[in-house]
Parts: sequence; C-alpha cells; structure tokens
Amino acid sequence: MKPEPNVTPCVVADQISESQALPLALQVRDLSLTIDGQSLLRDVTLNVPLRGVTTLIGPSGAGKSSLLRCLNRLHENWQGEVAIDGVNVRQWPGGVDVLRRHAGLIGQKPCVFPTTIAANVMFGLPRLQRKRRAVLEQCLRQAALWDEVKDRLQSPAMSLSLGQQQRLCIARALAVQPKLLMLDEPTASLDPRSKQLIEQTMCELAQTIPVICVTHDLDQAQRLGGQVVFMCDGKVIEAATCASFFNSPQRIESREFLRWSVCDC
Amino acid sequence: MKFNGQRDLLTKSLVVLLALPALLLPLACLLYIVWRGLPGLSLDFVFSSGEGAGFGHSSGIVGQLWGSLLLALGACVAALPLALGIAIYERLLASTGQRRVLASVVAMLQGIPPIVFGLFGLVLFVHALDWGVSLVSGALILAIVVLPTLVMTMIAALQRIPIEHTEAARSLGLTEGQLLRRVWLPQAWHGLVTGVLLGMARALSETAPILFTATVFSGVVWPDSIFAPVTTLQTHIFYLAQEGGSEAATQVAWSSAVVLIALVALFALLAHVIQKWRPLHEA
Repeated sequence: MKPEPNVTPCVVADQISESQALPLALQVRDLSLTIDGQSLLRDVTLNVPLRGVTTLIGPSGAGKSSLLRCLNRLHENWQGEVAIDGVNVRQWPGGVDVLRRHAGLIGQKPCVFPTTIAANVMFGLPRLQRKRRAVLEQCLRQAALWDEVKDRLQSPAMSLSLGQQQRLCIARALAVQPKLLMLDEPTASLDPRSKQLIEQTMCELAQTIPVICVTHDLDQAQRLGGQVVFMCDGKVIEAATCASFFNSPQRIESREFLRWSVCDC
Repeated sequence: MKFNGQRDLLTKSLVVLLALPALLLPLACLLYIVWRGLPGLSLDFVFSSGEGAGFGHSSGIVGQLWGSLLLALGACVAALPLALGIAIYERLLASTGQRRVLASVVAMLQGIPPIVFGLFGLVLFVHALDWGVSLVSGALILAIVVLPTLVMTMIAALQRIPIEHTEAARSLGLTEGQLLRRVWLPQAWHGLVTGVLLGMARALSETAPILFTATVFSGVVWPDSIFAPVTTLQTHIFYLAQEGGSEAATQVAWSSAVVLIALVALFALLAHVIQKWRPLHEA
C-alpha cells in the first residue's frame, strides 16, 4: 500500500537529500501549544534547511497547521524556542509584522481580497511600490499565473477559478519577498492541473528559499521530495529525507501511517 | 406517513396563528395612521413653516422636519466614532471575557427606558453644563440612546468579514492599522453605513429623551446655533395629541405621524439597499 510517485520528483529533491549539510533556515525547539485546555503541540523539535521543500504530513489534528501558525506568530501563546535564520521570532527586529513578511504563510482555502487581480498581488506592499508592473509580472510568472491573467489584470480576483486564486495567493505572498514560505495544504480540493502547477511553483521556489508545505497527500509529499516530517497527536514522530522516510521508515507509527493512513500514537 | 403529514400541517398552522397577530397588528396600526393622516398631507404642509402660526395647528412642519433630522444626524455623528471604536476593540483586542461583559453592557444600555436618559440629559447637559434646552443637549442624549444599535450593527458588520481575510492580511505583514484601513473598513463599510442609517431611524423614533433636553413647541424653523432649541416631529405629535379637543390639531398630528413614519421607513429601506449592494469587483 506504499504510495508510488506518479510524477517525477522536483529538481531539488536530490539536492535536499543532503539537506542536513546545509545551514538551517528554521530551528524549532520543544515547541508546545495549548489552546482552551487542549494540547495541540507537544515538545516539537524540528530543523528546516536553507533551501528545499519540507513536507509536514500526518493525520488530521496532528498539529501541522498549528505549527505553521506558531512559526509566524499567528498563534502567540506557545512555549519553546523558534529561530528563523538564527533569530528568535519572539525578539524579531521590527516586530511581528516584519517577521510575517519574512515568513509568508498561505492558507488552505484560497483567500483573495475583494479587489482586482493586480491589487491582490500588490496587497502586502507599501503604497509607493504597488504600481510597479515589473514586480507584478515577476510574481505572477513565479506563481505560474501570468499567461492566464496578463490580459485581465484589472478584473475581479473573485472571477478566477479556485486553482488560479490559490496561485494568486502564492504570487501575493511572493510579492513581499519572503525568505521562508509556508503553505498549509495549498492544493487541497484543487483540480489536478492546478495541483501540478502549484507543485511546480513550490519546487522552483525551493531552489532559492525554504518551503514548508503541509499536505495530506502522500503522493504529493513524494513528488515534492526534500525533507518529510511526520506528525501525530501534536508530536513529531519522524523527520527524514523523502526517500528514506518512504522507503525505510524508522518508527512503527510511520510504517502504520504509510500502510493504513492512520496513526495510533 | 399520513399521520406525520397531518402533524406537520397542524404545527405549521399553529405557528402561523401565533405569528399572524405580530404581523397584522403593526400593519393595521400603520394603515390606520396613514388613513387618518393622508387627508391633511400636501407638499405645502410638509415644506412650509408658517413660522408657528396657530401654534402648529394649521401651519406646515418643515421646522419640525429639520429639527428631527438635525437631532438624528447630530446623534449619529456623535455616537459614530465611539461605536466604531467599541466595535473595533471588540473584534481586534477584547478577550472572550471582555466580549461577554461588553455584550451585557450594550444589552443593558438598550434596556434602559429612554425617559431615564432624558432625565440624565436634563440634569447634566441642560442644568449642570448650562447648555440649556438645545440641539446639542438633545443630540448627545440621543447619541447615548442610539449607541447600542450602532455598536451592535457595527460589530455584526465586522464579524461578517471572513477570518481568512484577516489572517491572510496578517500573514502579509500588515499592521493592525493597515488591517483596519485596507481590509476591515473597505469590506465592512456597507454594514457601517447601514448601522448609521438604522441609528438615524432609531433616533427619529425617540421622543422621551429630547422632550426635556432639546425641543420647544413651536417658533423655530432652523436653530440659530447648536445651543438653540429645535422643534421636532416627535414632540410636535406629542404636544398636538394632548390637545384632544381640537380637530385641526389632531389632523396635523396624524399627518405629522405619517411623515415621521415615512422618514423612518426611508432610512430603514436605504439601510437595507446599502446592505445588499456590492461593488462589481466583489461580485
């Protein structure tokens, strides 16, 4: 029942297999999060290399999305240590807003603002930079959306398909030039073509910046390659390179999850 | 199945029977007022002043119309920043406990009889601050009366903004001020304007708070300053209705009531239209 990759893994996958040799972009130490008495994360420890994709997998409720929200401090009341590029996120120079521009987060549900396509891409930029067409084009190209929208940049963003809206969200996040990109199930409920385009975009971005992607799709995790982090019940069960995790998982929980897509930890 | 069908029919009939008086009584009341008021209505009646001739028995009501509108507008202008501030605080900063306390205070404010606010205004604004019976005293008291309506509609307007939009904006590094200016206010403005219009409608419906604080019986078409008294449709109807013996006064009261109801309905309708309207790029 082990899933077989049906698409060639992205270019950086092999490079990232040696990811431990790269300096770290993100270090998480003993991160715990409790909300309304419910423990969502327990002593999570995790390293993310300077480039490549890190895929967070695990059953629903494992704490994958909560972890991403802690990293850019959308959740604030956690314990532990998180450092991006060696800087503690709690003492981020310039404050939390600057941190969030540094570590972009894209949600599961495509979320475009009720304005034009162009205005959406430039939404996070200061007023004086919002008119720069070169930035607009570059971000839309990076998100593999330029060819589809170049003739209707002033059309409502709501008129795009869900897949296009999600790529628009990626373009919008890229416009603020993040040094770390986090995507929370970016292809959930998208059509195969959109899924393929977004995966391709992630792989291309991963050549220059670290990309952390939450997914339930094990095939996708294999296609993205890089590092795989298996989480369950708020804990990191296993973190390994993609090939190592899928070919020879070390933990019994990982083997059960790969075989039956359930985890009983 | 047949038994279930009959039971459903019985339940529906019972619900309709219970709901019918709630619909019919106000409708009957409205129709009766319109029927009594229409004979006295004319453009001349609505738009002439007569400068208080016959103490309002036969003259027009433009002075009262201005007075009502000025008080309602003044009340909303005074209450708007406060209501918006409270609504933003509630959505942006308040903890769950603070939200609960705020909801209780707003509900309590709404439950206080308006005459009590009138009394408070008489003591504070008219006597203690020595502003006298004036437009400003009435507007400020009405502002307190409409504040809960404004706060509730504004909180509801901000609540309707999808949480994903707020989080997407925060994830882009927008500050709280930018979030407010670029995401919340552009998306909630229909609701905010609706709140103001409903507040205007509420202010137009109030008589007791302005009875002691803002109005005189007649003789004012347009106040000289904010410290001058006004005449209003609400109190005009009140004073004329007290003179039950005069047929002319009663007729003017009924016709004024029709104008007042039309005004309230106009603001409520406008609020409804704005609430439903969406710009093209949001479609």
